[in-house]
Amino acid sequence: MEDFWYEFVEVTQTISDGLLFGSTYALIGVGFTLIFGAMGKLNMAYAAAALGGAYAGLAGFVLIKAPLVLVFGISAVAAAVLGYAIYFACFRFIPINNHLAALMASVGGLFFIDEVVVHVTRGSPLTFPSMFGDVFFEIGPYGIRGDLIFVFVIGLISTGILLYILFKTRLGLATRAVAQQDVAARLCGIGVHSTNSVTFAIAGVLGGIAGAMTAAAVGVLSPVMTVPLTIKGIIVAVIGGLGSIPGAIIAGLFVGGFENVFLYFRGIDERDMYVVALLFLFLVFRPNGLFGTAITRD
Amino acid sequence: MDYYLNLINTIGIHTLLGLSAYLLILTGQVSMAQAGFFGIGAYTAAILTVIFEWSILSAIGAAMLVSGGVAFLVGFPALRVRGLMLVVATIAFSEFARMFFYNLKWRVVRDGAEIGPDGTMGFAEIRYFNDNGWLNWEVTIFLWVFVAVVMALIWWSDKTRIGAVLRAVGEDELAADSTGINVTVVKIAAMTAGGVVAGLAGSLYAHQVTDLDHHTFTVLLATFAIAYPILGGLSNVFGTLIAVLFIQGLLVEGLRFLGDWRMLLFGALIILAMNIKPLGLFDNQTIRILRNALGVKRRSGSV
Repeated sequence: MEDFWYEFVEVTQTISDGLLFGSTYALIGVGFTLIFGAMGKLNMAYAAAALGGAYAGLAGFVLIKAPLVLVFGISAVAAAVLGYAIYFACFRFIPINNHLAALMASVGGLFFIDEVVVHVTRGSPLTFPSMFGDVFFEIGPYGIRGDLIFVFVIGLISTGILLYILFKTRLGLATRAVAQQDVAARLCGIGVHSTNSVTFAIAGVLGGIAGAMTAAAVGVLSPVMTVPLTIKGIIVAVIGGLGSIPGAIIAGLFVGGFENVFLYFRGIDERDMYVVALLFLFLVFRPNGLFGTAITRD
Repeated sequence: MDYYLNLINTIGIHTLLGLSAYLLILTGQVSMAQAGFFGIGAYTAAILTVIFEWSILSAIGAAMLVSGGVAFLVGFPALRVRGLMLVVATIAFSEFARMFFYNLKWRVVRDGAEIGPDGTMGFAEIRYFNDNGWLNWEVTIFLWVFVAVVMALIWWSDKTRIGAVLRAVGEDELAADSTGINVTVVKIAAMTAGGVVAGLAGSLYAHQVTDLDHHTFTVLLATFAIAYPILGGLSNVFGTLIAVLFIQGLLVEGLRFLGDWRMLLFGALIILAMNIKPLGLFDNQTIRILRNALGVKRRSGSV
């Protein structure tokens, strides 16, 4: 009985840690889902732009000893700029119907950003400052890391601001209009290209914050984080339902929790396999994700 | 000399990889699963020749069957998702396959030495060609016979109804369905064929390179696989071959002097190519221009 209780506490502790860390995946997933909702295209360079922003923030910390809040701010702004650049290079001039070319172009953008980062940092991982790293709450048999709580709270705040922008401002209205039906939006005088670039920039801000959050929680920033983050972000966006922001948030937390549980039970080598298997399950039984609009099988 | 033979081998293997993706893109399915099938073919053939001491042809044949079988199974859930979701699903499949091989440990003691896939350390000592006295140029010819046969098969089937059916499904599934084509069968058949060709490529790769590492079978390889037919255009198989020559020959090897800056240039070139020629380097427009320039007459009724 003692052992069972101990195991139970361990597992729930793992789940709660995973949930808190999952807020980073949630933000990245929201970014992917925003872009997919607005343009119907997948931006493979998104996580790369997010981490690029985090690197810029780190540069701010290293070069001018910026306080952590400013580091997050620099990451967000840098990622927004990168996001806009990706839109301009990979999506703006390619015909709307040509999903393939845009996909390949964004993959090219992924390589490009990754290589620039590798060159600048000579490929070695860099330590990222974390806030509240030594804060540790104890609630009964559970311990909650302060830096994970910090990360979770930032995620909540960012999502709140995003939802406010989307639903309470004219900019958000334009974004949603273009996402719904871009021809009609154009007829109403909404510039599709300028709106899309703003969408990419907003997604970039989220990505930059998420990248900085991930780096702060893990403590290390390294170019090898790009591809796994891209894949996890896509998995989260798909499980939540492409185009649905609440879906991406919940899916992000869910994946974070699941991932940690798999890590606890099966170790790090097999952990990612189960996350991918989770994606399969969803794609087979519920391809529209948790909250997406129903995809009919013709 | 060996360096050039190696390059020619790589071009051959990547051509097969590109052709396997080509078959799928013809039917409108953009599949990043080719890297997964490639890996399955590689490991299967290598396990058969190393642990079970099969001969190379039977090992390749069996590997093609296994990867084709897996592709057949993948084809069914692939029907439920379309477009970009299929890309996501196939990326996930390739990653799953890679992680599976990352964890695969099957060591066998033979003649006092341990052989077989060793989990995270990869799969070394796939020495079939060396042990059986194959010369380097013999390996190259062997490899390229397969490439030539596959290219010829695809080229031929493109001239027959098979090609028309594949392209019809790719262009517009609803229209194809209404002319009586069984879209499900066509798509699954294409996926299986793609899996078989990728498995062939993988089994050849495993023996040519003698050492498998899970790092090879990443999303990057899958991206290369679909880059070749996208870059080369979907009009015919030679577009894919030329794309492979261009990327592997010119960019990867020719620009080797650029050292680490190659990948940067590669990324920038992809972006540039997709913006200027979104339908591939050898799309119908370009071919028409080339034909007019060379004065080649075309049968009436075709593009």
